[in-house]
Amino acid sequence: MNSNSQKPKYWRSLAELEADPEFNEYVQREFREPTEQVPLDAPGRRRFMQLMGASFALSGCHWREEKVLPHTTRPTGQVPGVPNSYATVMDVAGVATSLLVTSFDGRPIKIEGNPKDTTTGGGTGTFHQAAILGLYDPDRSTKVMDGDTPSTWEAFDAALLAAYQDHLKSGGAGLAVLSGSHSSPTLARLKKTLLEAQPAAAWYAYDPSFSSGRERGAELAFARPLVPLYSPSRANVIVSFDSDILSGSEPGGLGYSREVASRRDPDVEGMSRLYAFEALVTEIGSLSDHRVAVQSSRIAALLVYLEAKVAAVVGRNPSGAAPSVEALGGEKVQKVLDVAISDLLANRGKSLVTIGSAHSADAHALVHRINFLLGNVGNTVSFVEKAPQIAGGVDELARLAGEIESGKVSTLIILGGNPVYDAPADIPFEAALAKVARSFHVGLYRDETGKKCKFHAPEAHFLEAWGDARAIDGSVRVAQPLIDPLLGGRPHIEVLARFLGLPETSSLALVRKTSGLNGDKAWSQAVHSASYGPKAVAQDLGLPELTLAVAEPPELEVLFELDPAVFDGRFANNGWLQELPHPLSKQAWGNAALVAPETGKKLGLADGHLCEVTVEGRSLSIPTILSPGQAEGTLAIALGYGRTVAGVVGGFMSGMEEVEVVGSNAYSVRPSKALRIASGTVRKTGGRQILAITQDLWAIDAIGKTGQKDREDELVRETTLAEYKSEPEIIQHKVHHPPLLSLWQSPVSYEGHKWGMAVDLNKCSGCSACIVACQSENNIAVVGKSEVAKGREMTWLRIERYYKGDEKKASVRQQPVMCQQCENAPCEQVCPVGATMHSQEGLNDMVYNRCIGTRYCSNNCPYKVRRFNYRNYNLETIGITPYTPTEDRGAKLKAMAFNPEVTVRSRGVMEKCTFCVQRIQNVKIVAKNNHRPIKDGEIQTACEQACASGAITFGDLNDPNSRVRAAQKVPRAYELLQELNNRPRVNYLARISNPHPELSEDDGHKSEQHH
Amino acid sequence: MDTRASSITNPYNGPLEGDNAFAQITHNVTRIMQAPRPPLAWYIAFAFALSLLGVFGLSLGFVVWEGIGAWGHVHPVAWGFPIVNFVFWVGIGHAGTLISAVLFLFRQNWRTAINRFAEAMTIFAVVCAAVFPGVHIGRPWLPYWMFPIPNQMQMWPQFRSPLEWDVFAVGTYATVSILFWYMGMIPDFATFRDRSTGTVRRFVYGLVAMGWRGSSRQWHRYERAYLLLAGLATPLVLSVHSVVSFDFATSQLPGWHTTIFPPYFVAGAIFGGFAMVVVLAVPAREFFGLKRIITIKHLELMAKVILATGMIVGYAYAMEMFVAWYSGAMYEQFAFLNRAFGNYAWAYWTMIFCNVVSPQVFWFKKMRTNVWVILIVGIIVNVGMWFERFVIICTSLTRDFLPANWGAFIPSPVDYATLAGSFGLFFTLFLLFCRYLPMVAMAEVKAFIPESHVHDH
Repeated sequence: MNSNSQKPKYWRSLAELEADPEFNEYVQREFREPTEQVPLDAPGRRRFMQLMGASFALSGCHWREEKVLPHTTRPTGQVPGVPNSYATVMDVAGVATSLLVTSFDGRPIKIEGNPKDTTTGGGTGTFHQAAILGLYDPDRSTKVMDGDTPSTWEAFDAALLAAYQDHLKSGGAGLAVLSGSHSSPTLARLKKTLLEAQPAAAWYAYDPSFSSGRERGAELAFARPLVPLYSPSRANVIVSFDSDILSGSEPGGLGYSREVASRRDPDVEGMSRLYAFEALVTEIGSLSDHRVAVQSSRIAALLVYLEAKVAAVVGRNPSGAAPSVEALGGEKVQKVLDVAISDLLANRGKSLVTIGSAHSADAHALVHRINFLLGNVGNTVSFVEKAPQIAGGVDELARLAGEIESGKVSTLIILGGNPVYDAPADIPFEAALAKVARSFHVGLYRDETGKKCKFHAPEAHFLEAWGDARAIDGSVRVAQPLIDPLLGGRPHIEVLARFLGLPETSSLALVRKTSGLNGDKAWSQAVHSASYGPKAVAQDLGLPELTLAVAEPPELEVLFELDPAVFDGRFANNGWLQELPHPLSKQAWGNAALVAPETGKKLGLADGHLCEVTVEGRSLSIPTILSPGQAEGTLAIALGYGRTVAGVVGGFMSGMEEVEVVGSNAYSVRPSKALRIASGTVRKTGGRQILAITQDLWAIDAIGKTGQKDREDELVRETTLAEYKSEPEIIQHKVHHPPLLSLWQSPVSYEGHKWGMAVDLNKCSGCSACIVACQSENNIAVVGKSEVAKGREMTWLRIERYYKGDEKKASVRQQPVMCQQCENAPCEQVCPVGATMHSQEGLNDMVYNRCIGTRYCSNNCPYKVRRFNYRNYNLETIGITPYTPTEDRGAKLKAMAFNPEVTVRSRGVMEKCTFCVQRIQNVKIVAKNNHRPIKDGEIQTACEQACASGAITFGDLNDPNSRVRAAQKVPRAYELLQELNNRPRVNYLARISNPHPELSEDDGHKSEQHH
Repeated sequence: MDTRASSITNPYNGPLEGDNAFAQITHNVTRIMQAPRPPLAWYIAFAFALSLLGVFGLSLGFVVWEGIGAWGHVHPVAWGFPIVNFVFWVGIGHAGTLISAVLFLFRQNWRTAINRFAEAMTIFAVVCAAVFPGVHIGRPWLPYWMFPIPNQMQMWPQFRSPLEWDVFAVGTYATVSILFWYMGMIPDFATFRDRSTGTVRRFVYGLVAMGWRGSSRQWHRYERAYLLLAGLATPLVLSVHSVVSFDFATSQLPGWHTTIFPPYFVAGAIFGGFAMVVVLAVPAREFFGLKRIITIKHLELMAKVILATGMIVGYAYAMEMFVAWYSGAMYEQFAFLNRAFGNYAWAYWTMIFCNVVSPQVFWFKKMRTNVWVILIVGIIVNVGMWFERFVIICTSLTRDFLPANWGAFIPSPVDYATLAGSFGLFFTLFLLFCRYLPMVAMAEVKAFIPESHVHDH
């Protein structure tokens, strides 16, 4: 508002009338958008409503200011208080996942997978689940900034337009656009429009997660731009090389998880066999039957060896000479590899070889070739034509930096991404950016990059605007908004459309135009099913010659990993993700150098010790965690930490409020030539750091280790398929106990419903999406780093990670543990005020109002699944509770993420998993109103819904046909600590491995003796 | 004359030494109250105790304000210092009732010299203990929900919970102890009333003396009531700590789930209680000139009790280990192995040294009769008894069934402040008692000095 020059017509206070600059700033801060967008001298109802609204509540819900009128006629399908579900799509680094978002009275509160999405099977990853919190993040950018002064969208548009006009004269010379990886067809279309109008302009894409191997491997193998699609459910044998295909952050990972899991059920015929050769413990590695730890640098040798053997059998020329035993990493590696090869050859057309995204295009190409030779292409692997995508790696960023250095770029528009933070260490992008005369940044946050650009404008969250994206199979998904932009952001496509001067600038019009769908019916169908466009399956593949260089592995390889929680750093300001323990190290709030125990001990490193990792002359100080199962001579650092301008959660170094930086920035040593697998050195520097680790470390004392080893076999029961087939009762014999008698008859007969759950340990890969889903569904507080370090995290569901075997060859077991809802519950008996009670349906109901916080229930719970609010976490982390009303805008925004159906707990009360009792009730009410029984699977707990591999089954044990009843009846179903006679309602399905008969225990498989 | 033997066998030849005539006893006890000001040592001690009490108030206020997260509790160690302190103080509170009631019923007349302040110590210890269950809960403004208060919502406590049993056990114990203590003081209050000079004092002592005139009828009623209350209090000595031990014994936690707990806790409580009596008696007799009433023989007898109960406690420690081994239960075995050799082994061995090793010096008469040795061992035993509760409560919780849950307990500064502060409350009350109340049961002592039984000779 330009009230400096002109007295306002309406005024709210003397300060405003006198145009007090302080007051202006206040107004800017509080009511930026509405007062800015409407010219002051344009009176009328809208303006009046704005000012009235503003004066009624001098702060508060400005995101609802446009909805001051109540519905006189209720829109069809909307009942106040009854949540609706809408289909939309989330695009993470160019991969779309279809989602269903629950909206409660107009505000989205929960994200779930869309079961109609064939590429995910309805599963979600951690990022998708946590996106709700990202939407309500008050640290998101709210203002257009011109340097360090607040500006307006008009000024931003004008500046952009001026730039457009300037460059038009020279055909676009000096104009550059930098974006992250996007699969959006609309963005691709606008890019094309730009390059047509200004042919000399350049569009660069840089994403730190970009995998050139994944993107270009198929092209190398078949001389055509193709994208591989796997069908692991058709594979009897899967051999995985450093492969993370089950990871939620990998393209297709969610769907592959479901498919792999579908073949891991020992109670149905045709269980698959998994081999994993890998440096770190991946998700598929933790599920595999044979896992061999080898350095990533050796994978090439293994592949060449494998290809040579396969080629010889199928009568083709091998791509290279078979490497020596030493190059493979020893006889044991070779032995397992030989067995794996024999298995592959015995299952031609029904096997699958996969490789991780960290590897080069050459390695990927060789793997595609191996699959081709094995006859897997067309069966377990198919290739689709690569759709036009905006995707690019470090070479594009380097090229851009070079162009800027040589003075060829005068205007740079950065659409998302954060290259100042995440550029490799040897690309001085920050310095280059300073040399650009006009730089624009449109992003969700005014982050490291946003601060360095001349102009910054807020981007709309994906739940706030229309968009589109492609799934891994190339099909296009339409993303519909759930809410108007809360903080005044605009999607990239809208910014671009204005920049290009297109007639239609709304995201809806842009997306719809791209779709080319005529007629409202086709369009609404596409939105509803969130998908349009067929997928093209490539046929007739050629097979060019390939060579893969086999190099001697370095003494220490430094592996840069995408973090399972904050990904490449873009989710760093998300409390749920920061607090999510790493699946292996169980570290929350930060990263560490994960070192193989042998390697670490040689250097005198132990958990928490600070070390200095040096890669290509650059050093990073980071705490260490010894990670059993990791290959000797490897060190892994997760990317995405050490953000300095992330926000009050992820770290904030400059400005008024300084927040501790979370973790160490691995980008500061990441070389552009070896983005994922580098070689380096590490040395102990002395000093320790307290890490926020949620599970005891490996390096506990000798007694603890022995105690842990003794009980692991009872807690995580397992056997081999052969043993299980010959003696199905073997799992029950893992624990022998006297007859379990109770002092009293159960007072509850469980007529009606009897809720139960089954968790299949053969399927859980530890991805942790369930933890975030539970946190989102049940309003679980974020407690912060220091409280997690103390052990006060609040997650109702945790995944217990156990290592089996010795440190060198440890394999991983993941066991999700939530409240077991015991029938003979020890917690219920000891509460002096009866705050935890048994329901008629067998749930342990927690009555928060009645709880006085003696914590006796927690002490008496053998599973320790109860969590106590030692502090007023919601007040401390969000700034709001139902009992302490606040006028703070940010706090109110954060509070919108709460699920209104779940009590927000205050300080001093105990809480725990309820089996999502609110979901049970919702379905019960609907079923009762319709006079029908509840269908099996109609009630899904949040964890069950999120689980991509379907490891969790919930249902009614009284229903004779329910899946959970069937699951609890299989011979491998067991109760955790059943000898205590708590009669838990959760059953675990024992882990049954399917090792190759030729491989003994020493070869990566550990069978427990029957006793 | 072998006073050691006679003190126990012959009530008429009590352990009081010298020529303490009735007047002398009265004078010795009442002069503390009558003195215009107490000795300097009292002031120093009181200032110290009062500042500790201040620390107590501040730390509890902080906890109520901040939430109990200010203490070091974590998952899985949901009970920390406050419950340790609670059990410790309840244990201390045992000696008083034992001395006043059980020894009374067994006609151990040497108890008369120490029973009064042992009882006082009991009351104050129970007061200290009673603070903790209330403030340790998550919502410290709601402890009354544990009481069966009729209300229109028909909300009742859950009587299956051992914590609920605690409420009644400790409540009963506190009530009976206070009654017993107060009733015992009535004749002495009358003496104080008669000897007071100030109006206020005369009024207050007169009020609490409840019109005691020392008539035969009054004495008769008094003796009857005293006997009845002693009979009533005796089972409480066994019950209160048994019930407190049920908090642990009835739970499922390895290290808590132990049938030996009730006798073991009671023995431990008497052990710790006597140690505390010794710790209080030694300086009190020094500073208030009561050496001739609380004699070295009293201290020696208490040292013997400490030795005996210490041996019982040591037996219980050994038996716990044996049963864990003999049970063949993996989790049970681990809990005890971990207790002795795990992360908190230092606490366990501190406990063993303090409770089992240190009282062994009392096998020697020379040690039993040396006030310094008695004082030091008394302090050591109190430290040991505190560690016993710490070992049982905290270290068992750190490592239970699922190894993924294992944690560690690191006390916060507020934990230490609360612990120290509770001693402030205790000593403040005790010092006030020394100054203003009859520290020795004059009437009872007089009944057992040789002069009382002159006609029997």
